Amino acid sequence: MNAAIIGQMAVSGALMGLVYALIAYGFQLTFATSKSINFGQGELVMISAFFSLTLTNLGFPYWAMVPGGLLFGALMGLVVERGGVRLALEQKSEGWILLSIIIGLFFFSAAENIWGRDDRPFPTPISADPIHILGVDITRLELSVAVGVFAIMGLIELFKRRTLLGKAFEAVSADRDAAELMGISSTRTVMLSYGLSGSVAALAGILVSPITTVGPTMASALILKAFSVAVVAGLDSGFGVVLVGMFLGVLESLASFYLGSGWREAPGLILLILALALRPNGVFGKATIRKV
Amino acid sequence: MKRILLLRGAELIVFALLATIPLLVVNPYALGLLTLLAIYGILLIGLDVTVGYLGQVNLAHVAFLGLGAYTAGLVVTKLGMGMVPALLAATLVGLVLGGLLALPALRLEGPQFALATLSFAALSTTALNELEALTGGAQGLSLSRPPILGHALTPPLFYWLCMVLLAVVWMLMRNLLASQWGRAFEALRDSPIATDAMGVGTYKHKVLAFALGSSLGGLAGGLYAFNFQYLQPQSFTYDLMIILLLGVVLGGRKSLWGAFVGATVIVLLPNLLSNRLLFQIFSGLGFAGALAAGVRGLVKKNTRPFQALAPVVGMGLLVVGGLFVENTEDWRKAIFALMLFSVVVGLPEGIMGFLALFLAKLFRVPHAPLPEPADLDTMLPIRTADGSALLVLDDLKRYFGGVKAVDGLSMTVRAGTIHGLIGPNGSGKSTVVNVISGLYTPTAGTMQLRGVALPIGSLYSVAQAGVARTFQNLQLFGELTALENVLVALKGVYRNPLPMVLLGLARREESTAQAQALALLELIGLREQALVKAKDLTYGAQRFLEIARALARKPDLLILDEPAAGLAHPDVLQQIEFIQRIHQRGITIILIEHHMDVVSELCDTVTVLDGGRIIAEGTPDEVKRHPKVVEAYLGQPPQPELPGGAEPLPA
Repeated sequence: MNAAIIGQMAVSGALMGLVYALIAYGFQLTFATSKSINFGQGELVMISAFFSLTLTNLGFPYWAMVPGGLLFGALMGLVVERGGVRLALEQKSEGWILLSIIIGLFFFSAAENIWGRDDRPFPTPISADPIHILGVDITRLELSVAVGVFAIMGLIELFKRRTLLGKAFEAVSADRDAAELMGISSTRTVMLSYGLSGSVAALAGILVSPITTVGPTMASALILKAFSVAVVAGLDSGFGVVLVGMFLGVLESLASFYLGSGWREAPGLILLILALALRPNGVFGKATIRKV
Repeated sequence: MKRILLLRGAELIVFALLATIPLLVVNPYALGLLTLLAIYGILLIGLDVTVGYLGQVNLAHVAFLGLGAYTAGLVVTKLGMGMVPALLAATLVGLVLGGLLALPALRLEGPQFALATLSFAALSTTALNELEALTGGAQGLSLSRPPILGHALTPPLFYWLCMVLLAVVWMLMRNLLASQWGRAFEALRDSPIATDAMGVGTYKHKVLAFALGSSLGGLAGGLYAFNFQYLQPQSFTYDLMIILLLGVVLGGRKSLWGAFVGATVIVLLPNLLSNRLLFQIFSGLGFAGALAAGVRGLVKKNTRPFQALAPVVGMGLLVVGGLFVENTEDWRKAIFALMLFSVVVGLPEGIMGFLALFLAKLFRVPHAPLPEPADLDTMLPIRTADGSALLVLDDLKRYFGGVKAVDGLSMTVRAGTIHGLIGPNGSGKSTVVNVISGLYTPTAGTMQLRGVALPIGSLYSVAQAGVARTFQNLQLFGELTALENVLVALKGVYRNPLPMVLLGLARREESTAQAQALALLELIGLREQALVKAKDLTYGAQRFLEIARALARKPDLLILDEPAAGLAHPDVLQQIEFIQRIHQRGITIILIEHHMDVVSELCDTVTVLDGGRIIAEGTPDEVKRHPKVVEAYLGQPPQPELPGGAEPLPA
């Protein structure tokens, strides 16, 4: 067992981990404004990837396909918000968990029937030839994942900090009632967060598809790990998801090497249950004070 | 009595019919479906415990089905044992693993809990797939149905076995859910904090409920194994979990009948989907139902537009889709999704919830008569107040980050007194109450009740030690009746252990308990409203009920957190009278209050807080004249004019 192989696996694991982190970041966006997350987020990743593939097949160039895909993701995010989340939030119930699962199931079935059950390659202009860096092979494709993840997270964080709409977003996250009293519509802000979250899911799909192929089940493993990352880091941990995501990526690529590829999912799940037992608010999360 | 007869009669008729079917019909296919109905019935009753009674989205139930099935399969194939030990082992595996998962997972609420159970399910699928030496992995595991007591189990015999087990599970769960345990399950869904504060261990009950539900999953799994005699890990995945949730939600939560109806739907679904005509008929009926309910809701204006229209759109999509789609089987997930969506939005109480309302209107069965109230003097004997130190706080501190909410509080509450705790907003009164009652852990300092250290940081342990409290922001169990609210907290009546409760041998306690609870309701003038749901009571009545509930703990020390907050004047007078009645029984009271008239009327001693520290202590009259108190409430008094109009000296 030499260090080069371990290094290689650590790097590709960490890059995959960034994708988990990106999806987990999408959970954080909606959790911040509404304390809810979309349990069908994996289906959003998948269905947006399929839509982007169709755009590519229709002859759209890469630079036009990406915004198209993001827009579609945002639209689907809004569908989830309107159909599954808003009513439950108004009733202060947890019905959104079940409803978002249901909408995801619908998306899944629709994708299965519209695009077929088979996995398909996702063409991309970015080259998959490896480059040597410090004895480790990395492809431009893998690097594009890292660039894309940091770019969109950076942009959204800038948006939240620098624009008025972004400040409204932060205000609703901090205190929904107070923000309402200041004339900020929390319903619209929750819509905004679901739109953004949908776009983030779409980008995750576009970035990961060239590596993993596109198929109805492409996101089912991905999403479980994104859940783990979000909960282990804490649903309000900000950039904590990046660290936890990369850590989990490395861990599971080592686990699949030593234990066999079937156990790939295990570390994330065990990590999740452990984290829940030891730090229910996440490693980077804030403890909340109960009030009566 | 009539009500009980009707309910039991319906149960008897259904089970008798189900038992005689194999004698009349010899269609093996139909028998297979009925066997499956019994198995799914057990499974869904188990799932309903978490989803319905605890109100948590549980995505791990399918894993317990799978683990139970494999356990039974392995006990038969690897250990060569019979069916009875196999089923017991399957149940036990569900119970133990359910408990183990619940221990960490149930400290979480809502989404995190759902995620934890989802991960557990994924992990168990992985394990079943990868432990090939044991489970055969993706190849699957074949087993045969071993004989019981030398009898080979023919399909009808196996069917009867499943039905008998369903009937047993039904009876045990009915006993449990109608008991103090079932009430506690429902109470903790409405307010976990209040459940703990009433000395009903929230966590203990949650874990127990989850483990019990999971054990039924394991049992159903065992039966599943012997029914199909072939197991594969991919049979127990997320897809099946969604169907199970569909069953519980569609059938109706918190109802054994609901689970039964849900199981029927699940069993019939595949047939529904494979037969085009049948599908169109049912989706058409669903559409008509949704449309009728939606229009009715809109006209009567008692549903939101979304709630009225969304199911119509959902079912409409089903009807339109049914006309265009070639093979409904391909779209089965979308069909489940649309059905579930329409039910969750439009019929949140499920089929049985709807039917129950309907039947209740049809039959108008009165509630079973309540017993006469118990004698207050025997259940809550008057204590002699000796004025000794009951609660002693010494240098108590509680900081939140840099905020010193309570900063070095020392106070003695004497037995048999009403001790007032007042102070301006933000002076730390509520924090003191929350520290004493165990919601917060003190940063420093000691608390003693009758010379014994009070447990810290646990509502439950403090309640057990004899302290009861009410809440400034009402924490009633809204879905329970006033009577049930008091029953949940009632101390010293329910003594029978769980097995007795399950077997239905603990009913005598119930009428004693009801009598005592009624006595308490009478004390605060709510006897007539005993059967009204807490959320439907008037605001004043809800405040009174909080006190009755706390009194059901038969406490040494009763903490009333702003009992008059928000009350209209007549209610305030009423409240003063109730508190005096309680005081006359010798119960020591700490009263946090803003109304000065209430404080002056009731309190023997008053402690005044400001900025987390004591600024004055004494009788109400002394305190009212204390300059610091006046200053804290009214601000700095104007500087008296210096004689001769001299300028004040510069500092």
